[in-house]
Amino acid sequence: MPKEIKGIQLGQIKELSQLKIVRIFNEKWIHNLVSHPRPQRPGLGLTGYLKHLQAGRIQVFGKTEVGYLHNLKDEDRSRCLKNYFSLKLPGIIISENIKAESDWIAMAARYSTPILISELHTAPLISRLSAFLYQYFSKKIKMNGVLMDIMGQGVLITGSSGIGKSETALELVNKGYQLIADDVAEFYLDSNDDLIGRSNEIIKNLMEVRGLGIININDIFGTSAVLEEKKLNLVINLEKWDAKKKYDRLGEDTQYFKILGLELPLISLPVGPGRNLSTIIEVAVRNFLAKKSGKKTYLELNKESALQQDELSDPQAEVSK
Amino acid sequence: MIEKTQVIHNKLGLHARAAAKLSHLANMFTADIFLIYNEDKVNAKSLLGILTLAASVGNEIILQASGGDEQEALAAISDLFNRKFDEES
Repeated sequence: MPKEIKGIQLGQIKELSQLKIVRIFNEKWIHNLVSHPRPQRPGLGLTGYLKHLQAGRIQVFGKTEVGYLHNLKDEDRSRCLKNYFSLKLPGIIISENIKAESDWIAMAARYSTPILISELHTAPLISRLSAFLYQYFSKKIKMNGVLMDIMGQGVLITGSSGIGKSETALELVNKGYQLIADDVAEFYLDSNDDLIGRSNEIIKNLMEVRGLGIININDIFGTSAVLEEKKLNLVINLEKWDAKKKYDRLGEDTQYFKILGLELPLISLPVGPGRNLSTIIEVAVRNFLAKKSGKKTYLELNKESALQQDELSDPQAEVSK
Repeated sequence: MIEKTQVIHNKLGLHARAAAKLSHLANMFTADIFLIYNEDKVNAKSLLGILTLAASVGNEIILQASGGDEQEALAAISDLFNRKFDEES
């Protein structure tokens, strides 16, 4: 089940090194909650048009906002700030290390609003803040399985406990492919609606192989054997060989795995004695890539046999040979 | 499916050795067994999965089991927690 994110404390945003926060005023209210994934520039909100300012959105001030406030007469500025801060906004970030006047700070304090000062220009500040908040607020889901990069494709290998997911993944790592997460992979939807998988920080680079225990793939195989995150393209489910079940013999079935509103191609592979899973998975990915580029072997096979049928039934064809 | 709330009693919480004992025990049962903590749900048969919970002493987790031997599984696992994973005397 995807986890609902209620909000992030301003204190956590302050700690982000990419935002280059250099000063904080009204730090007492640093626990205010930002509950909206997009930052907002107040713009006309400062003139008194407050309709589209939303509580819960972090506010960004650039030169425009600050310049506008500076040019107001004292009593106008005071009224404008009062109206603005009375919205109980979670916090304000001012870009370019611009000085915050003491009357603003006092007014912000009256409505428990912290003011953060960043060294960044407004555009990079907003884009970094948005990128962070987008990922933070995006739907996340954990799935059991091994996430690997095989020939550039993000492949999640699933299957019940003890079926040999990790062992198969180890063989694939040994063949030169990359591990992203063993056992539990965490996914989030990025702004392109792609599903991005990564490992939980605690078990990053680790793999459990029964008989060997927990091993660190980064230590054993080196940094080229691990990846931080990867877009998911394909799900391969390993299952116990069931003689009664009908397996795809032609390669024409397309199954889908549904997750967070997306449909990903799914391949079910039966595990049986004498089946070299790592090779089968490798070939499954090659085949997936071939299918993606429009190659369908079973259709070509149909064409071939239809052609032969035609030749047999058509006496003219016999003659012309 | 049955559920039970379980408090973690051992000092170190669900650290590696405790997680290993827990997943080893869970693997003895055919039932599907899950641990739920902080809205995270992990398979109790997966050692690395248990580690991702980072649950420590005093925390409450929910044990969930479904399938043939779910009763026995939950009783045995709860007992392991209550015995503090046999690591403190």
